[in-house]
Amino acid sequence: MKTGMKKPLSFAAMLGMLATMPALAHHSFAVFFDNEQGVVSVRGVVTEFNFKNPHGIIRLNVKGKDGAMQEWKAETNSPSILERRGWKKDSIKPGDEIVVEGWRARDGANYMRMRKVTRADGSPVGVPFESMEVR
Amino acid sequence: MNTLRLNARGCVLAILACAAWSQSPLAAEAAHPNLSGFWMLASGKPVEDPALKAKISPGTVILADTGAVEFGIGDFGGLKLTPVAAAAAKSWDSKDDMSVANACRIPSIIYAMQGPFPIEIFQGTQMTVIRLEYFDMARVIFTDGRKHQAEGGPMTKTGDSIGHWEGDTLVVDTMHVKEATITNNGLSHSDKVHVVERFKLSADGKKLLATQEFDDPEMLLNKGVRFITWNRVEGDHVHAYDCDPSFAENYAK
Repeated sequence: MKTGMKKPLSFAAMLGMLATMPALAHHSFAVFFDNEQGVVSVRGVVTEFNFKNPHGIIRLNVKGKDGAMQEWKAETNSPSILERRGWKKDSIKPGDEIVVEGWRARDGANYMRMRKVTRADGSPVGVPFESMEVR
Repeated sequence: MNTLRLNARGCVLAILACAAWSQSPLAAEAAHPNLSGFWMLASGKPVEDPALKAKISPGTVILADTGAVEFGIGDFGGLKLTPVAAAAAKSWDSKDDMSVANACRIPSIIYAMQGPFPIEIFQGTQMTVIRLEYFDMARVIFTDGRKHQAEGGPMTKTGDSIGHWEGDTLVVDTMHVKEATITNNGLSHSDKVHVVERFKLSADGKKLLATQEFDDPEMLLNKGVRFITWNRVEGDHVHAYDCDPSFAENYAK
C-alpha cells in the first residue's frame, strides 16, 4: 500500500470533481421500480422483443379498461442470465399473446420489470424466478 | 526452453490464455486451494464465514446489499458519508443513469463483484484471472510478489490488484480504482478507494466465500464490507455481456 502525500482538495474542488463523475450504467431496481406496491400483471399482444444486455425489452399492446389500446414495455433480467433459464431471442414473437407479471415503474409509466411471463396456454416462458433476482 | 519462452510471450499477449495454461497440473501449486472454476452468485443472504468475519477491521459496517438486493434513495447501509459524498448523493438523479451515453458505462469491481452475475476464475501461480460476466470485465491479480503500481499510474474500473495467500485464503489488495458507484443509489467512491478481498472455499468445495472490504478517505468516514457467496457450477462458462446502450431509449416517454 502506498502512502504518497498529496495536497488535499478543497470541498468545492471535490464537489466539482464529483459533478463530472460518470453516472452508473446500471439503473437501480430499488429506485426505478415500485416493490412496495407488489406485483402487477398485464395481458397483451407482443409487438417487439429485443433480447440484448443489459436488459431485454418486451413491447406489447394491452387493452385498457376503457377499451383503448395502450402500449406497455416490460424490461427483463439480463439476457445472459435468462439464457441459463431457458430463454432465447425468439422465445417471444410479435403476435404472441402473453401475460407479464412484474413491478411497475415508480413514475407510473406503462413500464415494468418483468418477473414472469406466461403464454396464452398458461405455460411459463423459461424458468421463472423464485425470488426477486432483479438485475 | 523454447516452449517456456513461447509461454511467456503468450502471457503478455493473451492473459486469459496464459491463465488457462498456468492452471495446468505442471503450473498448479498444490499448497493452495484451487479456486478455479465457474461460480454463480448464490441467491439469498451470503455466508458469513467466521474466519473471514474475524479478519474484518474493527468498526467496519457490514452492507446487506449483496446480490439482487439494493438500497433505496438515501439508504447507504450504515456507511457514513463525508460532506463531499453526501452532497453528491443528494444531487444525484437516477434518470441520469438511463441515457444512451451512460447505459453501458461499467461500474468498478466494488459494485460489480457482488452483483447477481457469474464469475470464472483461472488460478495460476504467478497470477489469477477473474472474468466477470457483468460488463465483460476481467481482473488480473498478481501473486508473484510484486508491489502495487507507482503513484500516478493508470486508474481503471478493475484497479491494480496484488494477492497473497494466508493459509487457505487468497487475500487481494486493490488500489488505483477509477471512480464509480458503491451502492447504485448516488454514493460513489473516489480513486482513493482501497479494497481488500478475501476468497476461500467452503469445506465441501462447493461454495466460494468472500469478503470485500473497502475504505475511501475522500468519500467515507467508516469502512464497509460485503460478504459474497458463489455456488460452483460445473460445465458452464462466462458469457459475453456485450452491452447495448440503445436500451436506454426505452425510458424515453
